[in-house]
Amino acid sequence: MMSLLHYQFSNYIRTYKYLPPFFIFILCTVVNYAFVPNPILDSYSFTSTLLFLLMGWFTVTIFHAEDEGQKVITILHAKGQNVYFVTLYLICIVIGFCLSCVSVLYPIIIGAFGERPSLWHIILGFLAHFSLSILAIALSAIFTRELVKNRQNSWWGVLSILIISLAIASLKSVILQVKGLLWLLPPVHLSLEMMSSDDSINVIPAGFYWQFIWIFIYSILVIWLYFFILNRKKKM
Amino acid sequence: MNTLMEVQNISKQYKTKKVLDNISFSIYGEEIVALVGKNGSGKSTLLKIIGGIIDSDSGAVTRHVQSLKIGYVPEITPSHVLFTPEEYLFHMGKISGIPRKPLQEKIDQLLEIFNMLEARSTRITHFSKGMKQKIMIMQAMLEETHLLILDEPLSGLDPRAQNELEKTLLSLKEKGYSILLTCHETKLLENLVDRILLIEGSQVKQLESFSEASNQNNQIVFEFPSHKSLDSVLSFIQINQMRTLNNGNQELTVTVKSRDTDKALLALLQHEASIKELMPLNSKKEQFHTHF
Ligand SMILES: Nc1ncnc2c1ncn2[C@@H]1O[C@H](COP(=O)(O)OP(=O)(O)OP(=O)(O)O)[C@@H](O)[C@H]1O
Ligand SMILES: [Mg+2]
Repeated sequence: MMSLLHYQFSNYIRTYKYLPPFFIFILCTVVNYAFVPNPILDSYSFTSTLLFLLMGWFTVTIFHAEDEGQKVITILHAKGQNVYFVTLYLICIVIGFCLSCVSVLYPIIIGAFGERPSLWHIILGFLAHFSLSILAIALSAIFTRELVKNRQNSWWGVLSILIISLAIASLKSVILQVKGLLWLLPPVHLSLEMMSSDDSINVIPAGFYWQFIWIFIYSILVIWLYFFILNRKKKM
Repeated sequence: MNTLMEVQNISKQYKTKKVLDNISFSIYGEEIVALVGKNGSGKSTLLKIIGGIIDSDSGAVTRHVQSLKIGYVPEITPSHVLFTPEEYLFHMGKISGIPRKPLQEKIDQLLEIFNMLEARSTRITHFSKGMKQKIMIMQAMLEETHLLILDEPLSGLDPRAQNELEKTLLSLKEKGYSILLTCHETKLLENLVDRILLIEGSQVKQLESFSEASNQNNQIVFEFPSHKSLDSVLSFIQINQMRTLNNGNQELTVTVKSRDTDKALLALLQHEASIKELMPLNSKKEQFHTHF
């Protein structure tokens, strides 16, 4: 598993496909904090949305990094395809984790906020970034080449699912009219709503934790769905 | 010959299309077997089933050697491998769970067998197709393997690269490996292969290989005094044509098996026959080519 992870990671690094999303991430983060002071939760809300979209890009390039013919060989050496795809997810998650940390810590380090952020701000900010990263990974992976044969469709699929998820936040009142539907849709709006709280909060309401936990559970269910479909398609 | 592996009653169907129907055959130690057949006849499908990449609908692949290891090289050679042979083989070996030290030794040994020592630190992306193909065979041999499955190892290579790969495969056979390969180039099979299996109409037939001398015939044309008897040589010749010449002698055109040719000639000469012509007949080969 470790050697597979090491191999996949070196391979991904050598494709250079991480460069465009990485530069967009850096650029947006720097530009966003070019002027001080900034509101804390509002800024985090923006960068977490950005990360949500970019993680879709990272996920597709990671899942498509290896040559398709080589993939068969690697899976043969790994003696199972599940471990192969688990390592791909892990790489995505590690990248999501690192970029979440950068997003949260960068403005603090350069002192871009109007007031000193409290520990609650930092925890809330990190949870918002990391939960949305995981959600983006889970949703995007469904559209990668194992389940969607056509490359074009992969990109359109990822783009639409991510944008629809964001749009749900503003269409909430409409969706609420169909009972239970909101629970089925990707819970991006939960994070965005929590992040629109006032900067003056000095304790995280217990409900917030549950909402983050729901985002993680939703992501895990989507990842489980990926493996479920994958194993049903296997060995045709 | 010891049996390595036995394929028993394998069937495979894609949706409504029956590709393999109740196929059975065996693979023995230290032999090279070629699987031939038209495009889409199911060669790759059969190799994938034996290699464990896909499951068959019914039937079984029985391994007769304890912990028989099969190395599989797919039909499509990966073109974008971003590592050098050394790095690549090292990664693949580690993923298979081979400890560092024996792995390094194995890689050195493989690089030597395949004559790739100079190219060990050039990226595979820059390689020619023949070199890439060799790397793919090497990765299949990282773990101790008994049987190598190669899906069209020679396709897309120029004659020189084919020749070189062929030599490598022969040397592998001498080292004790068995090889099961598919191939479209009949010319290559002549020098390389011990046995040929033909897939046709989802069935497997064994073809007699033309590389065995016993299957080759020679044609002899000779003149013979008519009063002499041919009885002593008749046992191993087959008369095709006989005509009487103006001088009263007979001219005969006969077919004789390669391995009997010397004996036949000796007997004929002892009976005062005069040899006019001797040439090889490749009827088997002509039959064989019609399968493609
Ligand atoms: N995954 C699949 N799904 C559906 N049909 C398939 C699949 N793979 C192969 N087939 C069909 O099975 C048949 C046999 O395919 P296979 O690849 O084994 O042929 P082949 O003998 O290797 O051909 P070639 O000489 O072109 O390599 C073909 O008709 C092909 O269309
Ligand atoms: Mg094929």
